[in-house]
Amino acid sequence: MVDEAQLLAALRAGDLTAFGQWAARAEPSLRAALRPFAAAVDVEAVVQEALLRVWQVAPRFTPDGRPNALLRFACVTARNAAVSELRRSGPSAATLDDVERALASEPTGRPWEPDPFLRAAIAECREQLPKQPGLALTARLTSAGADDDATLANRLGMKLNTFLQNFTRARKLLQACLEKKGVRLDEELAP
Amino acid sequence: MTSEQELLAEQVLNAHRQSAPDGSLRAHRAWHDLDPDARRETAEAAERLRKLEAALSPEGHSSTVSAVLARLRSSRGTP
Repeated sequence: MVDEAQLLAALRAGDLTAFGQWAARAEPSLRAALRPFAAAVDVEAVVQEALLRVWQVAPRFTPDGRPNALLRFACVTARNAAVSELRRSGPSAATLDDVERALASEPTGRPWEPDPFLRAAIAECREQLPKQPGLALTARLTSAGADDDATLANRLGMKLNTFLQNFTRARKLLQACLEKKGVRLDEELAP
Repeated sequence: MTSEQELLAEQVLNAHRQSAPDGSLRAHRAWHDLDPDARRETAEAAERLRKLEAALSPEGHSSTVSAVLARLRSSRGTP
């Protein structure tokens, strides 16, 4: 694990590799911080927006001396981005109640590290996927957010709905396989 | 979730997001057609899926992190 002072020095130097390592550990906390907003904003867009803002601000960021300062800052940035998005959409009273509760609690900002057993179990389960779901999963993983599903489906010679059904199948089969191996996803993958 | 909502949710799970003219990221088109419960369920599914993706990636990057890094590299003009 990288010391935060070292990380900030790397970010000041424009080190994208260091930022990627930090972002990988930070993402689950950002998603957890945005749970109360999930019915009102597209969490995926807000998480990416928050990470882009952190990259822009990181060279000027001053830690407060408490652990995981940049991660806590990122969680606040993500929530602020969600609030801005909410204001644009005209939130309901129930949504505003959820948001008030969320803002009253401080984000925990605990970095996440996948354990090696989980990595090995997921890789084994992936190998057991049937061909079509395996292709859909690989297409999404390889694209890494660069292409929409219509493009990915077209690349595989599938109709969009067929591609989406195959991806759903891949996710469900992976989950079932992991459960057979004793991996309780909700516990293993909790932030 | 209905099967129609499931197909919409599956599209929302893709990390691909378009940029708005002001440079901010747009919500996925399919996200707007999800009802509030389906949006919550999709966000939970995304938490699990991104960790699976990170565990499958040699660099430990989910598709979200990879998409952000690709945007930053593109803005720098580096591959």
